[in-house]
Amino acid sequence: MSLSIQTINSSDPRQAGVVTIKLIGSLDTATAPELDRELTSCLAGRVNDLVFDLAELKFVSSAGLRLFQVARKQMVARGGGRASFINMQPQVEEVFVIIQSLPGIGVFKDIEALDRYLATRPRPNLWPGTQK
Amino acid sequence: MTLQLHATPAEVMRGVEALQGFARAQGMPEKTIFGLALALEECGSNIVNHALQRDAQKQFQLVIEHTNHAFVIELRDGGPEFDPTAATDRTLRAEDDDLPGGWGIQLVRQNMDEIHYAREGNENVLRLIKRVNLSVDEK
Repeated sequence: MSLSIQTINSSDPRQAGVVTIKLIGSLDTATAPELDRELTSCLAGRVNDLVFDLAELKFVSSAGLRLFQVARKQMVARGGGRASFINMQPQVEEVFVIIQSLPGIGVFKDIEALDRYLATRPRPNLWPGTQK
Repeated sequence: MTLQLHATPAEVMRGVEALQGFARAQGMPEKTIFGLALALEECGSNIVNHALQRDAQKQFQLVIEHTNHAFVIELRDGGPEFDPTAATDRTLRAEDDDLPGGWGIQLVRQNMDEIHYAREGNENVLRLIKRVNLSVDEK
């Protein structure tokens, strides 16, 4: 089983700083280092909201959950940042129950639900000197 | 089915893929297969990362059996004695992420009906059992 990662920076000025990471395949003990590297690179940039699109994530273990937890902690540590998850499949959701109630995590049914949230949410300015 | 796996993450997933193929051939539903795969991934990773210290020269054994009433996963490694079933049984908690095996063993318990550990000679033997009844529950 393999993992494919697609990172998309929002081109919508209303969603500046929103980065979506689409995970395709299996996030497990063998593939977790790939996401770890991607997160390290991604979080070094200007990210206000980190969104994981799990529509095509077929498998996740605690190795993957730990990375989600790391991302969540880093976003929270930035002061108001958040890690959100969309399009979660039922089996993945059962594993995810461990962390989904944590502060700094949002779980949304789909991108429309997330967009509605982002449109109404007060945006943190995690990067002083830049436009929100 | 018996496999000898090297102590690497990739080999753990080779075992998981073998289990998934075996279970599908037996007509197991995908939801059950997901839970079996998750339990094997967690226990196999624990062996590789802790018992065998990711020494690719070392190997552990995976045995998968399916009877009319149960799906059995047996893992056998030559690492130091360690009983993962000794960990306290409790509700899954997010703050356990920093504990070795904290989430892993809980996910195994969530997906398997029985977990048995034994020290046999110089080996840790872990047997994971999922009770199945294809004629009633699974079809």
